[in-house]
Parts: sequence; structure tokens; C-alpha cells
Amino acid sequence: MSKQRLWPRRHENTKKNGVHVLPFHFIFFFFVCFAPSWPTGLQSSLIAADNARQIVEEAQKRTDAKSQRYEGVLQVFDSKGKIADKRWTFERLGSHGQSKVVLRFTAPAEVKGVAMLIVNHPDRASDQWMWTPAIERDRRIALQDRSTRFFGTDFSFEDLEERDVNQYDYTLAAGDDATVDGAACWKIQSTPKESKSSQYTKSIVWVRKDDYAFARIENYVKDQVVRRMAYSDIQNVQGIWTARQLEMADLRRGSRTRLTLEKLEYNVPLKDEDFTLQAIRRQ
Amino acid sequence: MTLLRLISWPYFRRHVLRTLLTVAGIVLGVAVFVGMHTANHTVLDGFSRTVDRIAGKTEIQVTAGETGFDEEILDKVQSASTVRVAVPVIEAVVDTNAIDHGGQGNLLILGIDMTGDRSLRDYDLESGEDAVIDDPLVFLAQPDSLMLSKEFADKNHITVGSRLPLGTAEGEKPFTVRGVMKSSALTSAFGGNLAVMDIYAAQKMFGRGRTFDRIDLAVRPGRTIAECERELQTMLGPGFQVEPPSGRGQQFEAMLAAYSMMVNISSAFALFIGMFIIYNSFAIAVTQRRSEIGILRALGATRRQIRWLFLGESAVTGLIGSIGGVVFGVVIARGIAASIGTLISDVYGQTQSTTEALATDPRLLGVALVIGILTSLVAAAIPARNAARVDPVQALQKGKYQVLSAGESRLRAMLAAVLGAIALVCLVAPPLTSASRQAGGARALFYLGFSLVIVVALLLSPLLSLGLAKALRPLLTRLRPVEGVLAADSLIQAPRRTSASVAALMLSLTLVVAFAGMARASYDSIINWMQTALNPDLFVMPSQSIVVRTIRFPPSVGPDIAAIPGVERVQTVRDARIVFRKTPIMLVAIEVASMAQTAQRVPVAGNADQMYRRAGAGEGLIVSDNLALLQHLSLGEMLEIPAPNGLVRLPIVGIIVDFSDQQGTIFVDRRQFLKYWGDDSVNVVRVYLKPGVQMPDVRQRILERFAGQRQVFVLTNAELKAYILRVTDQWFGLTSIQIAVAVLVAILGIVNTLTVSITDRRRELGVLQAVGGLQGQIRRTIWLEALSIAVIGLTLGFVLGAINLYYILQIVQYDIGGMRLDYEFPYPTMLALVPVMLAAAFVAAIWPAESAVRGSLVEALEYE
Repeated sequence: MSKQRLWPRRHENTKKNGVHVLPFHFIFFFFVCFAPSWPTGLQSSLIAADNARQIVEEAQKRTDAKSQRYEGVLQVFDSKGKIADKRWTFERLGSHGQSKVVLRFTAPAEVKGVAMLIVNHPDRASDQWMWTPAIERDRRIALQDRSTRFFGTDFSFEDLEERDVNQYDYTLAAGDDATVDGAACWKIQSTPKESKSSQYTKSIVWVRKDDYAFARIENYVKDQVVRRMAYSDIQNVQGIWTARQLEMADLRRGSRTRLTLEKLEYNVPLKDEDFTLQAIRRQ
Repeated sequence: MTLLRLISWPYFRRHVLRTLLTVAGIVLGVAVFVGMHTANHTVLDGFSRTVDRIAGKTEIQVTAGETGFDEEILDKVQSASTVRVAVPVIEAVVDTNAIDHGGQGNLLILGIDMTGDRSLRDYDLESGEDAVIDDPLVFLAQPDSLMLSKEFADKNHITVGSRLPLGTAEGEKPFTVRGVMKSSALTSAFGGNLAVMDIYAAQKMFGRGRTFDRIDLAVRPGRTIAECERELQTMLGPGFQVEPPSGRGQQFEAMLAAYSMMVNISSAFALFIGMFIIYNSFAIAVTQRRSEIGILRALGATRRQIRWLFLGESAVTGLIGSIGGVVFGVVIARGIAASIGTLISDVYGQTQSTTEALATDPRLLGVALVIGILTSLVAAAIPARNAARVDPVQALQKGKYQVLSAGESRLRAMLAAVLGAIALVCLVAPPLTSASRQAGGARALFYLGFSLVIVVALLLSPLLSLGLAKALRPLLTRLRPVEGVLAADSLIQAPRRTSASVAALMLSLTLVVAFAGMARASYDSIINWMQTALNPDLFVMPSQSIVVRTIRFPPSVGPDIAAIPGVERVQTVRDARIVFRKTPIMLVAIEVASMAQTAQRVPVAGNADQMYRRAGAGEGLIVSDNLALLQHLSLGEMLEIPAPNGLVRLPIVGIIVDFSDQQGTIFVDRRQFLKYWGDDSVNVVRVYLKPGVQMPDVRQRILERFAGQRQVFVLTNAELKAYILRVTDQWFGLTSIQIAVAVLVAILGIVNTLTVSITDRRRELGVLQAVGGLQGQIRRTIWLEALSIAVIGLTLGFVLGAINLYYILQIVQYDIGGMRLDYEFPYPTMLALVPVMLAAAFVAAIWPAESAVRGSLVEALEYE
């Protein structure tokens, strides 16, 4: 029952603040976390549109952490089966639209030392900078065309954006296949509102009923699925259910990108001064 | 049509050579017209096509002349409400040591920000590691990354992973080819010699600091281009050009205005000359066919039918000649385009691709056909009229040929006198003061006067030819008593036969005199300018060419050179083309105070001391004389120059003669330039050496100082001057084309005239041989006749050329380059032309002379 009371209260609170920012926080990083399972009794009542939104909000709430660190292995599989590996270290300070992220590539040698600083804002698109040690230059990355692929991966820049929950409409989509890897899921359709520009017409999100973890996302352009994100190896890390492996498939290109999270930690002590342009230039 | 088939066709068949010569006149005129315009269009189209292909989906480009602008402008542009996407661009043309199979060493490097650029430009990698192909990260992380167009890679057998050495601001650097772009509109830009690299790496490699050359952008859906232009122009201020990509093509065209003008003048003269060759042929044909015309008239043909017969012949000749001219013009256009490309590259620093397809504009070819036919019709109009007026009774009397009637002569003389008087009035009535020349009407009168002078010369050419032929008679008589008299009498008896050839030759030489005179005056002025303005011992540059400004030095290079033993003083110079009053002009940032001590230049307006003092204190600008003339500027006038950091509002404190740029130059103190343009880079370092120091030693020290760090070219004073003179040579290369045309005209005209002369005088020559005249005497007679025509043509050509030169210098001064050139008759060129033209005349006479001596004596005496 406490959970049932929690949703309206949270909804009211966010309204009071006047800012409905429930960021999908650099979405694939966000999607590595998901909430603990709901009581079964709640499931049958969550069939209205408002509740679909509450599910998303709750899923996000359960990923709350002051900070996060992991070492990522990024593998891009092209349509011919060729694999390209990259490794990075990821550090995030803060959450829910006010976070700062430093992402530093560690392999291969050609990209070692390249770093990115992402400063998320609750009310606008994030600011991003990139440091290239070979020319000792930082550059601002202007994400004007958000459908551009993120540095050769199958993620687009839009996939990585934090999303304002208010810019989307959510409905529970009825379907026979609301099961992913044997886990029962809510199937939620997210549609960008008219004011929101997006390369996608809609997205279908599978949220696991037992732990509120995201299990799958399919992104549509008109009626065609163009990208599919799959979450696997879901583990409880410091109380946060986290998918240790994410795989985004670009169905048009026939390629996919797998991100494996290693040495994942939450709420690690990180300093604010390490999330500045000067800091990424130093290291 | 029936007359054409029954009368004209047999005549053409009987006179194949003359018909071919007539057609050649049109071929020549149309070919020069088509060749020069096609070449010009090819170069302009090549530039526009390169701009378009690189622009991709770009709707608007933001530029600030050649100076570029600070990176921060990008944020401003991106924040504009009408902008959907805005990406920065740097362009540089570099020489590469790639295996050079097609002579394609130059590569256009496009520095772009790959994180957003593909929304405007479509390119993809064809091969290479997958992580590299679509992963800009490695590309961005490694500053030696390069993507090549498939065209360039294939041509030079370069594959992914290859190393390609390129000249950069930091010296020659090996670049790694990390991808090959699929063929697309973009990759075909610059003739396919295109490479893409990261914009920030390009900044470093080409010494651009933290600036961009331009921003390409697309407009947000629902907003118009005009709205976006307005918003950005308001946001950025007048120092920026906000315009569609086609605007760059227009600027390029404006830059080439002077060259285009010269091309147009040459084309017009070529057509005019062709017209006289046709006139000559038809005038002769009418004379020769008088008996035929007489028979036709006696058989009932009307004057109208006779006139149309000749006009029909000329139309057919014009059509055939025009088709030939179009074909020949297209053939020679490639060569001319390559020559123009080299010229543009050397004069304007705009490297052109030489692999662009010829821009054979069907409309131009159509116009050329029409012009060729019309020229032919106009040229044949008077002969056709004369043919129609032939009296059948007189025409059927044998031996009544060329007589220039006294009435006709008087009429021509009177008309020439009237037109000459009008020309004189046009010339003196509106004195070319600065006030009056601003009035369009004054210029129109000037051009009317110029045209009338040419017309008067043409009208008088038969009379003058006759007079000169009479004057030559004693000389020829003394030279060869028999042959000389015969040759002179032939010319005197048939002035009309000679006059058209002479007129064509005269026109050709007129143009040669004008170009040669202009070249000579320019050389003298440029040499004077170089002696005062370019007096440092050494010039240190980041690029081999003084006009290429895509690679620049950082400001630290100046002090670095100053610290080298043996160097007494250095002056850093930054020059860049900017847009001033919608015209691309040169802006030169100099250290005025230092220049005042080393290169005191006497202003044509203003006081030297004040000029240097005020300009050095940032209180004024110095402008070149040609800019002042072209833009009607005067001393003390307040200039407003839009710059990226605000409007520069300073008075003109001095006007000096300067040949840095054809469109004009503004000199500004370096500190002002830094303030308003925010650009501290350097194009040239002027180096003065200490007395007694060995120049080669210091040169070597400079090269050693920057070895492995920076690309440095050191030119001595003599080398730089030689370079400028070489470029000037190229600019006046058109003169040599004109001389070639003049020689061709001479040969064509003289062969034509002599062929007719021999045909006309067959009976006379037959009688000569019958009474014991030797073949050698006949030959010499023909040769002397040819040489006489050349002498008459040369004399009239030089006289009219001398007048023409005056007009051309006025046009150059007020309408083309703003160059104040002294009148100097080009004696050396003219003296060189005398033997050339005489030799051409002699060559032209060989075949007719042989034809005359080998003709059948019986046939020749049939008339008796």
C-alpha cells in the first residue's frame, strides 16, 4: 500500500517544483539500473496511462545514486561480423538531470586519453566537451543533429540524452509478448509530445515487473523498428538492480553495439572539481 | 535555293581553297569566342561546382572574408532560432607528394567537425577497419587522420592505411589515410582531389589558431532562408557575410572581372577580324563574278535575287564556319582553361582543379553559331549590295574590274571625317575628371568615341591603303624596277582587294599594340612599385606561393626570426581578401611605424609623414591608388570596413600606388587588425639583414631554425621580384595569343588577297610570261605584293594601335584595374613584329606565287 501512496505524492511533488525532469540520464547509462520489484497486487491496477508514467518514474527513482563509476567495454559488431573494441572509464557525479559525467577512453591506443565531459541540465540539453590529447584541444560537441551516431556505435546522440519525462506521453501497451528472457514485463509505449522533436515516432519499453528494471526498448520510425536495446545480466549492485550488459542493435544497418559494465560501483566518493574542462585536460 | 545550287555551289567547287580561307575567317573568330568563353566558364563553373558540392545541403554560409573568425561565433550561430544545424569549416589547398599520375598534386583539404557535419554533407567510408569507417573517434583522436575521395585514392593508388605526406604549417607531415569516401557529389568537388580531416587538427596543421573559415548551416524547418539571413546578420553584424553558397561564386566572379573584360575584348576583336576576312572574300568574289552576275541579270534575275544569292552564300559559309569554330573552340578551350587556372592560382591564390570537365554551355554554343552567321551576313552585306547593283552591260565587258570610284572614296572620306569629329568631341567634351567619370553618361560617351575611332580607321583603310601603296611604289621600283612596279601597280589598281586584308591585319595589330603597350606600362609601374615597396632582403613565408594564404605562421615566428644572428629587423604582414562594398579586395595588416622607416612610399595623395604617423597610430587607413579609382575614394574620406569584431571607421590618410591586388588594397596597422579581426597570424615576414651579413648564411639559419617544426620558405628579394614578374608575364600571356591571331590573320588575309590577285591578273601574268617574263620575276612580283600588304597593314596597325593604346589605358585606369599607367608605345614588341609579319606575308605568298608561275599560259591568254 505504501507504494500505492508513494506515486501520487511523488507526482504532486514534481508538479510543485514546476520542473518535471525525470531524465533518462544518458539513457544507456540510466538503463543499467532498475528498481526493485513491485508487489504483485499492484500490477493489475496499473493499466491506465497515468500509471504507465508512474512505472517509468519509479524505475528511474530506483536508480538514484549520488555517484557511479565503472569500466566499460564497448564492442561494435558490424554487419559483416567484424568486431571493434573500445574501453573506457565512466564516472558520474549527481543524478536526475543535474549530473556531471566524465568518460575517458583507455583503449585502443589510438583513442587512449580521449575524454568527454557531459554536464546535464534539468531544463535543457546537456553540454558536452571532448578533450583530444594528441592535439591538446578540447572541443564543444554541439548535438544539433541528434540522430547522428555516437562515435561509430549503434547509439545515436539522442539515445544518450537525458529525457524530460514531461515531453513524452506514456501508455501501457497490451500485448502477448510482455515477457523478456522469461521475466514478466510491462510494455509501455512512449510517444514524444508535439513540442518535442525526435528522430523516433515512438518507443516501446519493457519494464520488468519484479524489479522495475528495463528489459528492452524498441525505437520506431513510423511503424518500423529501427533500433532495439536489450538489457541482460541484471544484478543487484549496492541495492540497485543493474543490467551489466546492454546491447543496442541498429536494425537498418544490421550492426549492434554491446556495452559490458565492469567494476561497477555506486555512491563512490568523487570530487566536483574533477568534473571540469580543466580536470579532463589535466589527466 | 536553286540559285545557290546552280550558281554558288559550282563557284565554291572551283575555288575550294578560297572558300576554305573564307570559312577559316569565321572559324577563327568563332573559335576564339567559344574557346575563351568556354574556358572562362569552365573556370568559373569549376569554382561554383566545387563550392556547391562541398556545400552539400548547406543553405547559408557565414564568412568574414579570408580572415576567418573566432570559434565562439559558432556558438552564437548555433543558438539562433532559425538555425537547424550549423557546422564549422576550414578549407586549405595543399601540395602533396602523392604519386602523381594525372598531374594532380594539389589536394583540397576540408576541415570539418565530424560530430555534426554529416547532417549537411553526405559522405561515407568505403573501406577500412570498421572501427574507423564509421567511428569518428579514432579520426578525431589522431590529428594525422585523413579521409580521401575515392577518385584521388584510385588515381594515386592509395589505400586505407597508406601514409600520405602533406605540406602543413609545421612542415611536411605524413598523414594516415583512415578512410576512402565513396564517390558522391562531395568527393567529385575540386576535380575529385578532395580530402577530409578533423577541423581542430586542420587548425593546428594549417596555423589557423582558434578560428574557422566559415560556418555552413541549414535552416530550421518552417523558417525561411531570408529569415535566417536576417537573424544572423543582425546577430553577427556587418563584419560577416551571411549568404547562400552561390554568393562565393559571385565573389570569385567579381575577382576575375578584369580578366573577363580582357577575354571579352579579345573575343570581340577576333570576331571583328573574322568579319573582315569574310568581307574581303565576298568583296573579291563579287568582283570576280561580275560577268556571272551580269549574265544572271541579263537572263532576268532581279537585284533582290542577286543580293539574296550572296547573302545566302554568306549564311551557308557562316554556318559551316561557325560549326567548325565551335568544334575548334571547344578543342582549344581545354588548353586556355588550364592557362587561366594557372593564372588564377598564381595571381589570386585560388587554386583551381584542372580536371573539371569543360563547361560547354549549349546556350553559348548556340549564341556562337548565331554570332558566326550574323557576322558572316553583316560582312557580306556590302558585297551583296554591290553585287545587286552590278550593271549587266558593264559587267559583261572583259577586263573591267576593280575601280574605287571617286564618289565612293569621297563619301567614305566625308563619313570618316564626320565620325572622327564626333569621336574627338566624345573624347574632349567630358574631361575625365573624378567628378565626371562617376557619371555613367561620360563613360558611355568615352566608349562611343573609342568605337567611332575604330570605325573611322576602317572606313579610311581603302584610302589609306591606296595612299600607302602609292607611297611604296618608288621604294619598290628602286628595289626591283620591274617586279616592284608590277606589285605596286597591282595594289594601286585594286585597293578594295587589298583594303579588307589590310583592315583585318590592322585590327589584329591594333589589339597587339594595346596589349603589348599595356603590358609594358604595367611592367614599368610594377618594377617601380617593387623597388620601393618590396625592399627587404628576405621574405619568409609558410607557403611556396606568395598568394596562397591557407597556411599561415603564428605571431611568434616574427620574434623567432628577429633573434637569428644577422637579422636587423623583421616586419610581419598579414594579408587577406575581404569584402568591401560588395567587392573582394585585399586587406594588408602591416607594422606601419616600422614600414615607414624602411619603405617610405610617396603617396599620390596625402603627406607621407602624416600618412605613416596617423596610420601607425591607428587613426587612419592607407588605400591603394587603384582602389581609390575603382571605388571613387578620396583623401580624408571616412571609410567603414565591416570586421568580425565591429565596424572599422577610419579616414583615408594616404593614397599610394600599389599592385598587391587588382581590385584594390587597404593597408591597416597590425594592431588595428588584431583588434577588429582578432587574427594574429602572419602570411609573410619581411626580413632586413645587418650590413655586411651574407644573405645565404642567414637564409640557411632561418631554415635551420624552423627545420622539423614549421614549413618555411625563404625567398630573396630578387627571387620574389622574379616571381611577381613571372606572374605578370602570365597575366599578359593573352598578348602572345593575340600575336598568334594577328599572324594567322595576316597569313589568311594575304593568301586570300594574293589568290584573288593572281586570278584577276591571270591575263596580265600570261602576257608577261609570253613576252619573256621569267618565272622568277613573276614569283618576286607576288612576293613583293605580299610584303607590301604586310607593310601597309603594319603601318596602319601601328598607327591605330597607338590610338587604341590610349583608350585601353583609360579603360584599365577607370573601369578595370584602377591602374594609373603611363603611355608607352611598345617599340620592342612592334619591332619584333615587323620581321614576324613580313615572314608571315612571305610564307603566305609562296603558294600563290607558285600557282601563278605554274598556271597554263594558253588558258591565261585565252582572253586575247
